[in-house]
Amino acid sequence: MLGMSDMMHMASATLAQAGYPEAMSTPALAHYLFLSAVLFVIGIVGFVTRRNLIIMFLCTELMFQAAGLALIAFSRFHLHHTGQTFVIFVLTIAAAEAALALALVVLLFRKKDSLSGEEWREMQG
Amino acid sequence: MIERIGYLWPEIVLFIGACLTMVIGLSPNADMRKQTGLIAGVSLLIAAALGLATPAAPTWAILPGIMPFAKPLIALVGLLLLLVNIGSVDRDEEAAIAAGKPFNPLRVTGAEFYAFFLFSLMGAMLCATAGDLIWLFLALELTSLPTYVMVVLSGRGKKGFDRSQEAGVKYFFLGALGAGIFLYGFALLYGGTGTTQFVEIAQHFAAHGMNPIATVGLVLALVGVSFKIAAVPMHFYTADVYQGSSGGVAAFLAFVPKTAGMISILLLVSTVGWAAGQGSLPPAIESLLWALAVLTMTVGNVLALLQSSLKRMLAYSSIAHSGYMLVGVIAGPGDGSFVSSGIAAVLFYLLCYGVMSTGVFAVLASLERKSGGEAVEVESLDDIKGLCRSHPWLGWSMVICMLSLLGFPPILGFFGKVPLFTSALGAGHVVLVVILALNSAIAAFYYLRVVAGVMIDPESDSGVRDTGVPARVIAAVISGVLVLGLSVFGNVFMGSGEKAAEVRRFVGQSDEHDTDSVPLDEHSEAAEDEHHAVSH
Repeated sequence: MLGMSDMMHMASATLAQAGYPEAMSTPALAHYLFLSAVLFVIGIVGFVTRRNLIIMFLCTELMFQAAGLALIAFSRFHLHHTGQTFVIFVLTIAAAEAALALALVVLLFRKKDSLSGEEWREMQG
Repeated sequence: MIERIGYLWPEIVLFIGACLTMVIGLSPNADMRKQTGLIAGVSLLIAAALGLATPAAPTWAILPGIMPFAKPLIALVGLLLLLVNIGSVDRDEEAAIAAGKPFNPLRVTGAEFYAFFLFSLMGAMLCATAGDLIWLFLALELTSLPTYVMVVLSGRGKKGFDRSQEAGVKYFFLGALGAGIFLYGFALLYGGTGTTQFVEIAQHFAAHGMNPIATVGLVLALVGVSFKIAAVPMHFYTADVYQGSSGGVAAFLAFVPKTAGMISILLLVSTVGWAAGQGSLPPAIESLLWALAVLTMTVGNVLALLQSSLKRMLAYSSIAHSGYMLVGVIAGPGDGSFVSSGIAAVLFYLLCYGVMSTGVFAVLASLERKSGGEAVEVESLDDIKGLCRSHPWLGWSMVICMLSLLGFPPILGFFGKVPLFTSALGAGHVVLVVILALNSAIAAFYYLRVVAGVMIDPESDSGVRDTGVPARVIAAVISGVLVLGLSVFGNVFMGSGEKAAEVRRFVGQSDEHDTDSVPLDEHSEAAEDEHHAVSH
């Protein structure tokens, strides 16, 4: 894949340029970053194109997990634990959001017997 | 880490207040339940006093002076917002209980509402205290998660419950999208700089300049946070959400998430621009903010012109006001004096905007009209025509706050806008200032339409009357009086605004490697140890 190897080279060159030793910027980091970018983009595209509220919520979860993956990869790359600490908090927030999202979806389903976001269009502007 | 507790007393007080309301709000005794609002008010007052006494200039803060300004501001406007919201939750349920219905703790929501109210304000304060990305992420989420519930609760038991649920769903999903975007931005920012601490990020940028990963991270972070201030690519929810929530909650949404978002943007941007010592922002970030500001004001004002619903109009006007504030962010700190510092201008404008928009929403919340035998919210301008004659206190408060939102001299909003103009001119952004001026002119159309309707037109025949909640009228009148009072005595805030806008600079630390800056380019053991000492 041309795009991927380009990205890998760009990421390692960037980090080397930013003052990190060349040996640290192995392609492994770029692989993780690429995967996390793909997850993030799938999340955004899915959020914009799908209308099922559960799927839309899962797409936002995908974006959160993409960030989590990037954080862990960077944490390993920088050889300290800050990123991993961050991920624990991210997971906590993701759980809180899940609770809220499911409550709202249940509310919707009780009212309209459907999971489609299209059902909620009383206000137009 | 432990020394930060000293800066957190206002938040701790709000947290205790929130816990108390959660317990007391579920009491089977109706008199006890009624105290929840009082507890919230008292804790906000104490938090404001403690916030004023917050010590300044800690070493870990990138904008060391922001806390003593932002925390009392949030607490005091929060007090005003509390007055608008008090008595609006559980009105029908409490009336039914008083008439003999058995008390069911699952049916009352006052406890949650006031607790979430305090939690959200606490989140906004924590944004001002934030010293690193993890903290800022948690604070932003703490600000917004309770507001989603508040939006849904605000319509409970009323005719508009469907609307408030729809508003809540929309607000939550777009909020989660925004959170995902800025979280990814934070992750890249951490990856590109190797640290989550703002001060260290600024030092890294000062030493090594920007790198693409961090630039992309910063751009995503700014775009994601722009959801909180309702800036243009993320503004779609605003009108629907404000229209669907009650007037009090809409006022809350117009101020609290916006304040949290603006403070976050100031913190994020200050790591890369001013603090790194160049005095101006890097071109990529500056053009992003420039585009955001211009689009936000123009789209907000043009769409506000087209609205017939008052709340939707106010929603678009709040978008436009975010655009005005972004001008101050672009202008940067200048030479630090009140007239040349864009940061001071933004902070002062937040104060002005908080008071005047709360006033307008309080007037709307105080009024209702009959529709098919049921009392519903006032919707369009026709409903409130001639308000100065039928309800003089509310009418004149509306006139004053609207003129202030318009920036009519010599009322508060005008004094809020002047520093935005002068700071942007001082930084050489003439085109931006011209666009800001044009937008203020567009805004005059729809604000003056309301002012003229309220003052001059004959009374409407739609049967508008007071909702019978005195606290809302009091909030409206207090806002009106505050707008007038601050127009005269607002200069007392100039000094504190100036202090709040103080920027820490990291010039030339790239070469010195002094003890404060962690040498991130060397993965030596000493550097690692030092880093852990700083971050834990």
